[in-house]
Amino acid sequence: MDQIGFLEPRPAVLSRRREIVADLLDLLPEGCLVHQPRELVPFETDAFVSYRRLPLAVALPETTQQVAAVLKYCNRYGVPVVPRGAGTSLSGGAIPQEDAVVIGLSKMSRILEVDYANRTATVQAGVTNLNISDAVSADGYFYAPDPSSQLACTIGGNIGMNSGGAHCLKYGVTTNNLLGVKLVLVDGTIVDLGGKALDAGGLDLLGVVCGGEGQLGIVTEAIVRLIAKPEGARPVLFGFDNSEEAGACVTDIIGAGIIPVAIEFMDKPAIGICEAFAGAGYPMDVEALLIVEVEGSEAEMDAMLASIIEIAHRHGVKVVKESQSATEAALIWKGRKSAFGATGRIADYICMDGTVPLGQLSHVLRGTAEIVAKYGLRVANVFHAGDGNMHPLILFNANDPEDAARAEAAGNDILKLCVDAGGCLTGEHGVGIEKRDLMRHQYTDIDLAQQMAVRAAFDPQWLLNPSKVFPLEGRPAA
Amino acid sequence: MTPIHEPLSEEAAARLVHVAALTKSAVVIRGGGTRSLHATPEGTDVLSARGLNGIVAYNPAEMTMTARAGTPLETVEAALAEKRQMLAFEPNDLRAALGTSGIPTIGGVFATNASGPRRFVAGAARDSLLGVRFVNGRGEVVKAGGRVMKNVTGLDLAKLLAGSHGSLALLTEVTFRLLPVPETAATIVVSNLNDAEAAAAMATAMSMSVEVSGAAHLPESVRGRFVGGALPDGAATVLRLEGLAASVAVRAEKLGAAMARFGAVSQIEAETTRRLWREIRDAAPYADGTPRPLWRVSVAPIAGQQLVAALRLETGVDAFYDWQGGLVWLRMESDPEAALLRRYIKAVGGGHTTLLRARPEVLAATETVQPQSDAVAALSARVKASFDPNALFVSRMVG
Amino acid sequence: MQTNFTAEQLADPHVATSEKILRKCVHCGFCTATCPTYVTLGNELDSPRGRIYLIKDMLENGRPADAEVVTHIDRCLSCLACTTTCPSGVDYMHLIDHARMHIEETYRRPFWNRLTRNVLAAVLPYPGRFRLALKAAALGRPFAGLLKRFKPLEPFGAMLDLAPRRLPKPSDSAKPGTHPAAGPRRGRVAILSGCAQPVLKPEINAATIRLLTRLGVEVVAPEGEVCCGSLVHHMGREAQALEAARRNVDVWLDEIERGGLDAIIITASGCGTTIKDYGFMLRLDLAYAGKAARVSALAKDVTEYLATLDLPQQEARGLTVAYHSACSMQHGQKITLAPKTLLKKAGFVVRDPAEGHLCCGSAGTYNILQPEISGKLKARKVKNIEATKPDLIATGNIGCITQIATGTQIPILHTVELLDWAYGGTKPAVLS
Repeated sequence: MDQIGFLEPRPAVLSRRREIVADLLDLLPEGCLVHQPRELVPFETDAFVSYRRLPLAVALPETTQQVAAVLKYCNRYGVPVVPRGAGTSLSGGAIPQEDAVVIGLSKMSRILEVDYANRTATVQAGVTNLNISDAVSADGYFYAPDPSSQLACTIGGNIGMNSGGAHCLKYGVTTNNLLGVKLVLVDGTIVDLGGKALDAGGLDLLGVVCGGEGQLGIVTEAIVRLIAKPEGARPVLFGFDNSEEAGACVTDIIGAGIIPVAIEFMDKPAIGICEAFAGAGYPMDVEALLIVEVEGSEAEMDAMLASIIEIAHRHGVKVVKESQSATEAALIWKGRKSAFGATGRIADYICMDGTVPLGQLSHVLRGTAEIVAKYGLRVANVFHAGDGNMHPLILFNANDPEDAARAEAAGNDILKLCVDAGGCLTGEHGVGIEKRDLMRHQYTDIDLAQQMAVRAAFDPQWLLNPSKVFPLEGRPAA
Repeated sequence: MTPIHEPLSEEAAARLVHVAALTKSAVVIRGGGTRSLHATPEGTDVLSARGLNGIVAYNPAEMTMTARAGTPLETVEAALAEKRQMLAFEPNDLRAALGTSGIPTIGGVFATNASGPRRFVAGAARDSLLGVRFVNGRGEVVKAGGRVMKNVTGLDLAKLLAGSHGSLALLTEVTFRLLPVPETAATIVVSNLNDAEAAAAMATAMSMSVEVSGAAHLPESVRGRFVGGALPDGAATVLRLEGLAASVAVRAEKLGAAMARFGAVSQIEAETTRRLWREIRDAAPYADGTPRPLWRVSVAPIAGQQLVAALRLETGVDAFYDWQGGLVWLRMESDPEAALLRRYIKAVGGGHTTLLRARPEVLAATETVQPQSDAVAALSARVKASFDPNALFVSRMVG
Repeated sequence: MQTNFTAEQLADPHVATSEKILRKCVHCGFCTATCPTYVTLGNELDSPRGRIYLIKDMLENGRPADAEVVTHIDRCLSCLACTTTCPSGVDYMHLIDHARMHIEETYRRPFWNRLTRNVLAAVLPYPGRFRLALKAAALGRPFAGLLKRFKPLEPFGAMLDLAPRRLPKPSDSAKPGTHPAAGPRRGRVAILSGCAQPVLKPEINAATIRLLTRLGVEVVAPEGEVCCGSLVHHMGREAQALEAARRNVDVWLDEIERGGLDAIIITASGCGTTIKDYGFMLRLDLAYAGKAARVSALAKDVTEYLATLDLPQQEARGLTVAYHSACSMQHGQKITLAPKTLLKKAGFVVRDPAEGHLCCGSAGTYNILQPEISGKLKARKVKNIEATKPDLIATGNIGCITQIATGTQIPILHTVELLDWAYGGTKPAVLS
């Protein structure tokens, strides 16, 4: 099977490598440019390790002005730029290319302002997602989107991918919790989009920058919405004898007009993996598990849970287990959020991210099992069931190239199945490099041309993260 | 008379735009025509979405609906009500305030990002919009987004279309998410607070774990014009709670107790609560049948009352606040005072304002939306050109 | 993660072990978030994931270490916060140990760096030499500022800063011998005397011996024991480390023969982590592998052992203790609850400072070899501790005690000193 291609490195850039490094050294403070070949190696990939490319250099600016200076320089000399937050992308969004300068935001990791009266936090792009909630937690607030990698992933990366998470069922994804950004355009111009006022007026550029996968500019600061923490929260485990009943139960809960904060799904392999790491007390004798979290006052949680339990019983639920303490609740979530990494204990994996309409959950779960079996591989399913965002983890052996190719092919088939079921290729991880060549399965040429035209309005020379998102063929001439 | 084109299908709409592109003739895109008083410029045709009518798909169990852009809002809302579902963002109806007639359409709701009181906690129209189909300025039919809750496949063009006021493309079909109608609702009223005290009270309410879904302050000058004068005497700071009956009761008690240190607390039951928030949503006090200038101002929540206090020193204004103070409905006594208003918006930390109503000649002569920085304006112009390279679509509602 | 080793490379047992470790890493990046150097420097090269990648690249290509790789490996504190965080179970400790050995074998350090490390390795593990050096330091203190101005000599300046102004008298607790249980004997343990600790804070082991004997435990300080080898082990000087390990294994096994041992009690968690790893370190030594594993299984932190004795709840003492969990305690040995539970039972109010997972910057000889990063971490740690407004600070590692004491006025003690006091012992001197 063919490997996903990257753009051919620009010879004019490669041949000027030494000057470019020298110029960038002039633009940045000491210790803010990585350029020794050996030191570049750790930047060759992110959490999508199937693909790797060495960058030309890695800039680690400390200020927005430095980001602007580097971009202005790269734009002037036609040097591609790949932005990087914590490098936790599962779609290869931060994988560089040979002629690209990586701009890493990891040194810009300060929380600039917390404003409780307006319920906002202003942070630098390199702040981790969890740092925001940690900073305001003692005062009774939190930042809602909670990707599983929230411990490590940065808010800048979250904006780039419009990241979701388990609790998005109730609170929405990044775009719904983002009020403004400081954005450096490809020519080095610094603009502010949005702000503490809810309506910004004009075109909703913020809306398209969020989820722009680093192709529209580099976000250096963000204003995000804070929410008062609920009075209480309780995750409850529901164990089922088969995945389809669990899937149907999810559809019925939502269909009954009940929206818990989160509904997470794990199948048997995933339960085993997560339990081994977290010791959360997941039931081990079931085929499928739902983690349903309700929140609010005790009365509210009790009322909502009663309705959910009734629905679960209609689907033959085998085990219902409520968390008995805050520690237990934390373990339940720790296990769930570590699911991908913990899978590393047993095998290499690639993680899919298709989203399907809720009514199609059972159908797609069945189809996924068939596809994976056809390729002779194994799969673990752990995902955000409440919004239909599936994460089949296809297990394989990375040291066996044929196995790796089979895993990739199976992944492609699963994603096509999701699209054909009325869903999409990616719910929260982004297209990146991973799903780029499947874009035509979801969009027509005209659809893609319109998106690319918007992209070109921001970045006429296609310098920003240029190998990603849009298939290489059929791009407009730069 | 301005020629009005009302295509009955997406293909017909695309053909019309295609022809307009060939002849380079400008058009004004219109839905129900209820949200703007701007006159159609001389020599410009109107392209109406009203012929694109009907609900395409409604999946209550998945909480999504797809409808053609010209479908009347009331048709959508009636279908939702049958299944006890609703649009989370409470689209408003500005006909009474603006003195417009016609039928609001679902496409118009999204094209103007029309969002009511729940917007500050549940998001705007743009946050509920999952997918769109539209005809761009090249006469091409394009789809973006989809029908699932989470979707980051490619650029989020639906966000760009939401609130673009017909400046980028003609929306032909919209897919949006829904919420169940809360079992019940109640409003806590704190009486007799001045604007600054109200801002503090609302900030406190929003810091509590009670899930306030509406926070407005109705100064004494407008209070009597809500719910037929049924609110207690004096300014009313109103806080809405929604959800399961048992839960609302518990939260109302908790919130009421916390608000008692700000002023006298009373409570409004479900039926009046619904009416009250509908009237707040539609700026009912300013549905006064006059052409006195009406501004809709969005600033940071605590800046709302600072802005009004500053303006009061220089000109005659009447105002009330929604979104915890972050949305100010502002009626000027005579002139729109655009320059003054913008200066003070800047002074309180920035924001956005739209002149919704004024005498026709004033409206024509006033810049009705907030000007942008040069860099953002230039970028916006390039984005517009990427949809509409020939600048066919004329709109005065975006900067 | 995919690896590229030839069968020939994998024939080296060290490489084979490292390959297995690397295969588990899925490059998720979680480890970066809790790594003190990444949080401080913001460069992935100074994070576990970056270092894993650097090591992988070096080992796969069978390359000698070079200046770049050494810089980033040297900056690693070996705090092992990453292993607590890692969901995939990557055994970073043994990977970085291997890398350090590889560096020691294949890389010639610049002169001043070599000299510093030689001095440390020749002095610290030997209490007699260490005591002499500290006395000399008192004379050298006026030159600390001067030394720090010349970058290669900075470590010597840092040493002078860390050296205590007054040195306690040598204690009997450090001498070999048997301390019989008071009353009926319920157990018999050996205590590790240690190298630097008895010189700097002999009262720690004194308190331990008092407390344990009072609780009915016979405590033996065996003859012939040496430094646990941790210090040289972290410098990559494996032969020296293994020699120390073998010697101690012999000593303790003799002691087991003589009177049986329920545990080998360690009062410095840094040493505990290493001794618990003897089994792994000596796995390739057929003569010692089994014996070392037996010793590792007996090794217990003093709080770990005390937790099995079921101490009674004492009355509240009206003192608030900020508990600083040493990295070797919480990450190395995964002992997190026992010390706090013991302190609470002893009647203290216990507070957990924020960012408790972050290292204080002590990390063996790190505060000497990397004074700049160490200083930043110390300041951050002290700020977090002081934010809890404690009356005193408790921890279980001599390195942390020395490090934190130079950054705050709040008294810092070993957990066992407080426990001894609470259960009938003398009040620690710093509190009087």
